[in-house]
Amino acid sequence: MRAFVFTDKALARYAGQFVWLAIDTENSVNTPFLKKYPISVWPTLLIIDAKKEAVALRYAGGATVPQLEKLLKDGARVVHGTTSKADEAIGRADRLANEGKHAEAAKVYEEAIAAAPKNWSRLGRAAESLTFALYQSKDHERCAARALELYPRVKGTYSSANVSSNGLACASEKPENRATFDALEKAARETLENPKIPFAADDRSGLYETLIGAREAVKDEEGARKLREEWATFLEGAAKKAKTAEQRAVFDSHRLSAYVALKQPERAIAMLEQSERDFPNDYNPPARLGFAYRTMGKYDEALAAYDRALPKAYGPRKISILRGKADTYALKGDKEAAKRTIEEAIRYAESLPEGQRSEPAIASLKKKLATM
Amino acid sequence: MKRLLILLLLAAPVVAYGKEVLPFIDNDYEKAVARAKAKNVPIFADAWAPW
Repeated sequence: MRAFVFTDKALARYAGQFVWLAIDTENSVNTPFLKKYPISVWPTLLIIDAKKEAVALRYAGGATVPQLEKLLKDGARVVHGTTSKADEAIGRADRLANEGKHAEAAKVYEEAIAAAPKNWSRLGRAAESLTFALYQSKDHERCAARALELYPRVKGTYSSANVSSNGLACASEKPENRATFDALEKAARETLENPKIPFAADDRSGLYETLIGAREAVKDEEGARKLREEWATFLEGAAKKAKTAEQRAVFDSHRLSAYVALKQPERAIAMLEQSERDFPNDYNPPARLGFAYRTMGKYDEALAAYDRALPKAYGPRKISILRGKADTYALKGDKEAAKRTIEEAIRYAESLPEGQRSEPAIASLKKKLATM
Repeated sequence: MKRLLILLLLAAPVVAYGKEVLPFIDNDYEKAVARAKAKNVPIFADAWAPW
């Protein structure tokens, strides 16, 4: 969104209507914010009532300019108190989702949908948030069933992407319920191919990932491979259309995932080298190069890339870079260096402040160390 | 002069398209709360990660 949306001059008229806050969740100065507003999806967009210091609206995921405009209007409406029963319920559900109470949030999103007046403009967001809350609470069957029921009401809108994608991801957990699975796969495909909805390219990329996951769930390797090819071609087209280096680099992680899934990581090298030149202070390009080279079996190049990334890295992401480096040493056969690197990762993970420090991550590193 | 004018005209959309469309405060929740209370407006927060 930083590359494509927040820079759009169409948003200038909202500049004075909000205070704009960017929170880098990897930066330890934001620990108090993260304790108050836990984040598990990136990006998460919040509209906060400053007087109450409470969430007025919460949206998990990115948005295009028109979607963002709608969110801003909805959020302002909640803060200024001009709301209906359905608006009150969606606000309450957003606050529960913010507290990580996804099952309870789902019930309240249902209340909002049940109380929705005709042509309620928040229905799409409520349907997206409901299916996501059901997915988060692992209520996969209900998630798939509700996505299927709500899809016709959001078909042809932005919300169709998340509703069909959330539903299909849930259905893929239990593909033996074939009628629901097939219908949601059809809905996701139809949404992906609808040229009338001006989705952000990363929304379409997300739909590809869910559709590939669905083919994998029914063990259709050939179908999954064809979709991976289509996904990579789509991403290359989107990157080509980018107007700036920043916009082009938005697709790096998606493209790397697609190339690795296709077992062709070498296709990522030139693009990542370009990003490393364009963004010399960003740890992502060398960290991704480390992963690509490791997948190619080029361990020395991978280690060199990780060593370029590490001095620039900070926050929890640094742990995964150290893990990547340790895995590379292990694959190279240097067990001692692998062990030392995991020990370094543990020390670093333990040094992170509350809010960033993750006990499961530390336990997982210690477990790894014990097997080395 | 003409060249300068052309450059300025060329630069204008870049400025409008640049980072100043929305005046984001980086990583300072307290400052955002204080400013929002003073202006009586809500806060829009983009919780992002650099990866």
